[in-house]
Amino acid sequence: MHQPHIQISTNQQDRLIAGFAALAISIHLFESVLPSPIPGIKPGLANLVTLYVLIRHGWQLAVNVSLLRVLASSLLLGSFLSPTFILSLAGAVASLLILGIAWHIPGKPFGPVGLSILAALAHMAAQILTAYLLFIPHSALFTLLPVFLTAALISGTLGGILVNRIIKQTSALKQHE
Amino acid sequence: MIWRNINSDFNMADKAVFLFSLLLIVTSCFYFWKTEPASYATIKSPQKAPLHVNLDHEKIYTIQGALGISRIEVTHGKIRFTDSPCHNKFCIQHGWQQQHGDLTACLPNRISIQLANARDAANYDAINF
Repeated sequence: MHQPHIQISTNQQDRLIAGFAALAISIHLFESVLPSPIPGIKPGLANLVTLYVLIRHGWQLAVNVSLLRVLASSLLLGSFLSPTFILSLAGAVASLLILGIAWHIPGKPFGPVGLSILAALAHMAAQILTAYLLFIPHSALFTLLPVFLTAALISGTLGGILVNRIIKQTSALKQHE
Repeated sequence: MIWRNINSDFNMADKAVFLFSLLLIVTSCFYFWKTEPASYATIKSPQKAPLHVNLDHEKIYTIQGALGISRIEVTHGKIRFTDSPCHNKFCIQHGWQQQHGDLTACLPNRISIQLANARDAANYDAINF
């Protein structure tokens, strides 16, 4: 039997994307089995990976990691193209867009916490808007917006603080090497 | 602990973003939690087509339900059940309804009243998968 010889050449960037996407997918899967006290509210831990990648490796890598995470997690959870997937994608795209804008402001004024809050709020707002446009076209849905935005602010702030500490720790390690 | 030196995690722009978000949330509370008076009610009963009722007048409607006749009173922007052949009379105790989006019903008699600020505001309230 002739064994087909397929070789895919990867560069350093591909391996970074794959590694971080795998990490984000694992966190996403872990989070999806955690019970939530309020339906629709998750800590959004998988997005911390996106934020870390953005700060360490730039916006393009963060886009790759985040979109791969949404796609692969939906395939693993069996929610591909379902409302869950569409909401997940809408949130990811919105937070990537606002991160892209905030990241490319000259002088880079925002630290991890500011970026994290912006992304969390954009994520939540986009999901509610998508849910309204596609699935629950009733204005009563927006009654929940203040509650969801508060949750996004809390989880965004805590997530940002975590990422800030992780970045401080890992850059200390890097200097040590 | 995460709470130690928490100030050092925020730079000036981060603090600005945090305060701006707080302001946004407080504004959204005022904007989305305000109540709006209703001007129409839709009365649904098992045997007839939904009845669209203007709330700007005084009238008592008698609606035939699954058990018998329910009486529904309308006065100047408010609506309530005044009589129903059900056992618990929850519908009557629920009292006056007057805000856009309010809903009241007599489940045993299968009559529901949904309030809105426009005639056909509530086509459907949810789509499920």
